[in-house]
Amino acid sequence: MMRKKIGIRDITKEEAVWPGNPACQGCAGSLVGRLVFKALGRNSARVEVASCAPGFMNIRVPSFYSPAFEGAAAFLTGLSRGYKLIGREDIVVAGLIGDGGTVDIGFQGLSAAAERNENIFFFTYDNEAYMNTGGQRSSATPYMARTATTPISKTSRGKMEEKKNVPMIIALHRVPYVATASVAYPEDLMEKITYAKGIKGFKFMHINAPCPTGWGFEPKDSIKVARLSVESGLWPLYEILDGRRFRLTYKPRELKPVTDALKIQGRFRHLSEDEFNTIQEKTIDDWERLLKLDGKELI
Amino acid sequence: MKSEVMVGNKAVAYSVKLARANLIAAYPITPQTTITQYLSEFVSEGELKADFVNVEGEISAQLVCMAGSIAGARAFTATSGPGILYMHHALHGTARYRLPVVMAVANRGVRTMGPDHTDMMDQRDTGWIQLYCENNQEVLDTGVMAYRIAEDQRVRLPVSYGLDGYVLSYTAEPVEIPSQEDVDDFLPPYESQYPVLPENFDAEIEQYKRHWAEGKSINEPFTPFPADESFSHLTMVNWGPGHDQQWRWRSHQEAMERARQVIKEVDEEYGRRFGRSYGGLIDEYRCEDADAVIVAMGTIASTARAAIDRMHKEGKRVGLIKLRSFRPFPREEFERIGKTVNAIGVLDRNISLGEEGGIVYNSIRSAIYDLEERPSVLGYHIGLAGKEVRVGDIEQIAENTLKAERGPKAEPVVRWI
Repeated sequence: MMRKKIGIRDITKEEAVWPGNPACQGCAGSLVGRLVFKALGRNSARVEVASCAPGFMNIRVPSFYSPAFEGAAAFLTGLSRGYKLIGREDIVVAGLIGDGGTVDIGFQGLSAAAERNENIFFFTYDNEAYMNTGGQRSSATPYMARTATTPISKTSRGKMEEKKNVPMIIALHRVPYVATASVAYPEDLMEKITYAKGIKGFKFMHINAPCPTGWGFEPKDSIKVARLSVESGLWPLYEILDGRRFRLTYKPRELKPVTDALKIQGRFRHLSEDEFNTIQEKTIDDWERLLKLDGKELI
Repeated sequence: MKSEVMVGNKAVAYSVKLARANLIAAYPITPQTTITQYLSEFVSEGELKADFVNVEGEISAQLVCMAGSIAGARAFTATSGPGILYMHHALHGTARYRLPVVMAVANRGVRTMGPDHTDMMDQRDTGWIQLYCENNQEVLDTGVMAYRIAEDQRVRLPVSYGLDGYVLSYTAEPVEIPSQEDVDDFLPPYESQYPVLPENFDAEIEQYKRHWAEGKSINEPFTPFPADESFSHLTMVNWGPGHDQQWRWRSHQEAMERARQVIKEVDEEYGRRFGRSYGGLIDEYRCEDADAVIVAMGTIASTARAAIDRMHKEGKRVGLIKLRSFRPFPREEFERIGKTVNAIGVLDRNISLGEEGGIVYNSIRSAIYDLEERPSVLGYHIGLAGKEVRVGDIEQIAENTLKAERGPKAEPVVRWI
């Protein structure tokens, strides 16, 4: 399939959302919802579980609340199979799921649906903690971030474990499509969706969604935080086709220091210079691994 | 009509095939396992045109059925014991969204492998209809009837039916298989009353806004399909005051009450068409002129029939009530019976720890409470964790019940057998 490069002018003006919803000011998750359904088009259906997403109620496609937090992927499976059974395989069945519903409580079902190669598009808007319940740590919370359950104290410097790398784990299920994306790069995000929505089978997109309320920055800075995360290498943009072919979709000429992105976030305010340096080294190390992999195949 | 010697699990599979369920999601657990195996065979041989989803756990099985049913599938799942506990969270969802999903439960205790009813009884407040079967023929027939009940517009509730693990699930008996044509005539192919499609979205939202503007509020259904509760896009219009969720519980309860009549009607119609019916909510055996009755569920009812026959040979007038529908509970039936007998002995293959007596025992006591002259109600814990239930045990219970007089409380009221 020839892929058309999308510029900002190619993005349709037609919105798939009404204006306004009760999300916090500067909510990037809400913006993910807007961009995703703009790209998918309105011949789609949305599934959500417990998260901030039920607050993104202005999306103008049939939306279903899966009453089990752990059940996003299974609910998506049922919906997709059901639409197929009534002869409506053309409807794109998409999940707009938070990080908890993806990487923690929803992980078993997600892995199973990926393994079965269900014809669904699973979007994770990742605000890196349980923001809907007051910002408790999830396994998507990055190293050393302060959350409500990883407070800063005499014995704790925030979350002491690294972020679970879910896009890579899903890719190793050898599914047709896996990508990361960012709200600061809407052309990249929408190009990927436009391409992938035509693929039959399991599609997964992991989208960085800065949360001013939970991360502790000014609502006006959501896009800035998202952009700096990409430019510093903290949130690399890539895609993996058929669980093998890896490609970085955006390569900054030179990485910005991670402190550009982290120092404007309250959740990292407690970090010492040494600690920032540790994160810097890890980030460069990870980025170099990805550079080596660019254009090649995963194991 | 052909006949085959088959285990209960195969009878379940045949009922699913005859009902032409087109979405099956299940996870293996003893003693339900062979249901999924038979169904996989039917599907892979092309005898049943259905999507079979091999899920990774019971909660996913239920969620696949739930969402598939919303989209327009006739969905089926089967489970057992700990599997239904794992499914519990999603069971509430399917019932709450008022979806006609059908589930077979090869009844197994929640603590052991042995058969008892603690697994399904643990789900009694989820809002599912619960039927219990006595033999493999009833299993097949109930499996077909279940869809008629679930899809009836007066009901629109999920239906579960139990078959005692091992005793039925893995035991073979002759079962008559109705012809596909006759079943098709009884149960037409499923068509969703309200398929939720993207192209209708804008018009539906406008319709809902009008509905809201007319002051109708969420208390009156917006669609002919009560699953509109699952549509989170509607919260755009119905958020805020008047978002009365208690009303949902009430309308669910009203559907349960209507289901009593529907279960009876469906059973009668099945009887007319196929020559077998099961009494609707309860089956009464030798209850004419009975001085006392005993109440049993599932296969214990079968053993009880033998005990009742022996008693009658000795001139002792004890009848048997087989409780077929536990949810909805046949309150009126027990009120009627309560007027004619001196005592009711209730065999409970379940327990609600901390309560005195079994679950059915307490429901029956409650049902007869308003009678001016109440019969004694005696409770017996029996067959828990698969403990063997012998004809002699039931004879003893029947004797004991027969001895109890109407009026003052017999001591002890609750016994362990």
